[in-house]
Amino acid sequence: MTPRSDSLHFSEARRLLAERSLEHVVVLGANGTMGYGSAALFTQVVPHVTFLARSREKAEEGLAAAIAQVRSPTVASRASVGDYGDLERAVAEADLVFEALTEDAEIKREMFDRVEAARSEDSIVASVTSGLSIAGLAEGRSESFRQHFLGLHFFNPPNVIVGTELIAGPDTLPEVADFVEAFGRIRLGREMVRTADTPAFAGNRVGFKVLNEAAQLAETLGPVLVDRLVGPYTGRALTPLATVDLVGWDIHRAIVDNVYANTDDEAHATNELPGYMAKLIEGGVLGDKSGGGFFKRDGKTRLALDPASGDYRPTSEIEVPDLGYIDEVAFFHAQARYAEGMAVFLKAEGDEAALARKVIGGYVSYAFHRAGEVTAEIGGIDRIMAMGFNWAPPSVLVDAMTPAGAVEMIDGAGLSVPEALEKAARTGEPSRFFLHPHINAGRFFVAN
Amino acid sequence: MSDRSEVYVLGGYQTDFARNWTKENKHFSALMRESVRGALERCEIAPEEVQSAHVGNFAAELYCMQGHLGAFFTEVDPAFSGLPTSRHEAACASGSIALLAASAEIEAGRYDLQAVVGIEQMKTVSPAEGGAFLGTAAWYDEEARDIEFPFPKLFGRLGDEYDARYGLNDEHLAEISKVNYANAKLNPNAQTRTWYMNKEHALCRTDDNPAVGGRIRIADCSQVTDGAVCVFLASRDYAERYARGTGRKLEEIPRIKGWGHNTARLRFADKVAESADDRFVLPHVRSTITRAMERAGIPDVSGIDGIETHDCFTTSEYMAIDHFGITEPGESWKAVEEGWLEIDGKHPINPSGGLIGAGHPVGATGVRQLLDATLQVSGQAGDFQVEGARNFQTLNIGGSGTTSVSFIVGR
Repeated sequence: MTPRSDSLHFSEARRLLAERSLEHVVVLGANGTMGYGSAALFTQVVPHVTFLARSREKAEEGLAAAIAQVRSPTVASRASVGDYGDLERAVAEADLVFEALTEDAEIKREMFDRVEAARSEDSIVASVTSGLSIAGLAEGRSESFRQHFLGLHFFNPPNVIVGTELIAGPDTLPEVADFVEAFGRIRLGREMVRTADTPAFAGNRVGFKVLNEAAQLAETLGPVLVDRLVGPYTGRALTPLATVDLVGWDIHRAIVDNVYANTDDEAHATNELPGYMAKLIEGGVLGDKSGGGFFKRDGKTRLALDPASGDYRPTSEIEVPDLGYIDEVAFFHAQARYAEGMAVFLKAEGDEAALARKVIGGYVSYAFHRAGEVTAEIGGIDRIMAMGFNWAPPSVLVDAMTPAGAVEMIDGAGLSVPEALEKAARTGEPSRFFLHPHINAGRFFVAN
Repeated sequence: MSDRSEVYVLGGYQTDFARNWTKENKHFSALMRESVRGALERCEIAPEEVQSAHVGNFAAELYCMQGHLGAFFTEVDPAFSGLPTSRHEAACASGSIALLAASAEIEAGRYDLQAVVGIEQMKTVSPAEGGAFLGTAAWYDEEARDIEFPFPKLFGRLGDEYDARYGLNDEHLAEISKVNYANAKLNPNAQTRTWYMNKEHALCRTDDNPAVGGRIRIADCSQVTDGAVCVFLASRDYAERYARGTGRKLEEIPRIKGWGHNTARLRFADKVAESADDRFVLPHVRSTITRAMERAGIPDVSGIDGIETHDCFTTSEYMAIDHFGITEPGESWKAVEEGWLEIDGKHPINPSGGLIGAGHPVGATGVRQLLDATLQVSGQAGDFQVEGARNFQTLNIGGSGTTSVSFIVGR
């Protein structure tokens, strides 16, 4: 079942918000990053937010982290805290139960047993899971629970990243999903994207494929060169391996392992976690939160990982081949001449540029192949890549390169050319792919 | 007046005011280029059609070490080389002055299609340095030299003047801030879309909301940012052809129905001394608003479906409420308490989020207001649409109520 592509008309969204109130949110797992981050976001517009965790002390820690995240006294004045002994009483009064527990279906199920027994018939239950099946989580539950259950996938940190995925289950009432869409969009200022209940949904499915391919390439090329090749000039502010460090290697592994195990698409091999990462994760390398991943700092010195040995060397000592074409692309980007910049990228000579085109071509190809599978149309993937990852959406890249240029890049890398691109290159229709009325296409191309 | 007095607004394009172009490593020319190319594409106008261009900008010489901004327009497209262009400055009203100049040329019959660009890049310097640059919008030597963040202090005094004449409750200012921030959440190009704000936060008196000038706290301030907006103004002849070409009727193309423009004395102290016996604190701002209404043939604010006003601070919006005639002078608080300013209220103000919510790249603001008014009366404002809007009015102010410009856009 692919989700709806059109978004609610503003007047319909306002009507839905007038008809149903959302005054009390209970957050389960409020001490985790997504738990307290989401709770902080809710306090902005919801009068009462309950932070629940394994212990009252943990819930207090979550509250303190929420206050630190958004720096407002409102958080404390609108929050209450408790442990799971308080769950039944809190859930009974909640309009929304927001589950942000650890990504373990069994743990979530046990908690949902209690939520199901305590919740009022009309309350909404949302899971912030980034990978587990929404249908699976709802399976075997009462009709009322299934009708009011959905996935509401914020990206971290929720107060900064507005891209949000909404995943309806097979029995979710359309008016419940519509209300949550309206609430997210109008009250919380979210860019709401409806996605199918497929592994890793839309954003992480497409995004982590690219991140993982970058990690695979780093095994032989090293992280410095890979991040230079798939760097800002290709349409992202944060380079891919620095992104994996920020997200956490364990989270990266969970996402790509889930996709690798549960999908079988044309780019399957690129979703396989590199062996060196698995080994290093076992040794405690988790990215920034463990003190380092692909990169780390020693005082003022930036160090880069040698994937073969697990050792680190100063990035200043690592030699990178001459990549003058990147400076040329950046020269054009600095003047907002993005099409000319991308033309330089497409024509750049050398093995390194070809590898960069393989990764970017893989991104565009993979995204267009997923349209109709993870979202109704490419527009949904475009929006979540733009506002969830802050990457140039696939359609923006195609528009900047022209469809013929994109086809040549994809075909030249030996990848499968999506039909829509092949047709556009052949017929000239559509003349543009990125049609979002508000998102600036230029914001993603960073001039370095 | 003949048909020549009609100036049509074909549409335009705004850059996302949350963007920091320094962080994107982009030159001032990129900001210009994205706004103009975006407008050409959005309006489906070929570059060859554009006959002249006006650029509104406050202080690129200070922020970007760059002058001669009209000439930068020619860098956007080869077809623009040789066009007559110019740059206009009137502090925070620079964008509106550029619009006035362009529309006057259309009324004079000189040109049929004009590009107007409002533009400012401000994230190039530290807040303190930028605050000093902004001080040049006041009488620098007398009101700004050696003062940290002079403008919040000047607009704090506007609040104090209201307080002295009529009484002022800061809770009403907090509500104004809250509404602007809430509206900004509906506007994908608003600077503060992800910022945390509600009335309680706006009212808080801790370090989470520090004071920056008398009664003015951070939540009362609009924030500087980078941004550019380009709109196309056209003569009736051009608009008729444009309407036909895009399958519409001329009546569907928004038009500048009226405008007002006044300049008061520079120093804030002189302004309030002049108005000591007036019902309005800033009478020249009042006459700018009413002259625009007169020219549009609209008797009073009941004929205006929504307003994009210059809320550089909550006190300036508080002032605008009674100056527009929404309430009697000194009673702006009534409109705040009644919820009239909200998007579905009786007199919606700043559905875009205004300067506080949408951001204030100084020279771009007047053009941004006109574009948002145009989107509103075309039914294209998306989630911040005022339902059924037919007439929208702007108020753009430079300095401490010094230069005022107002437009009424309608169909």
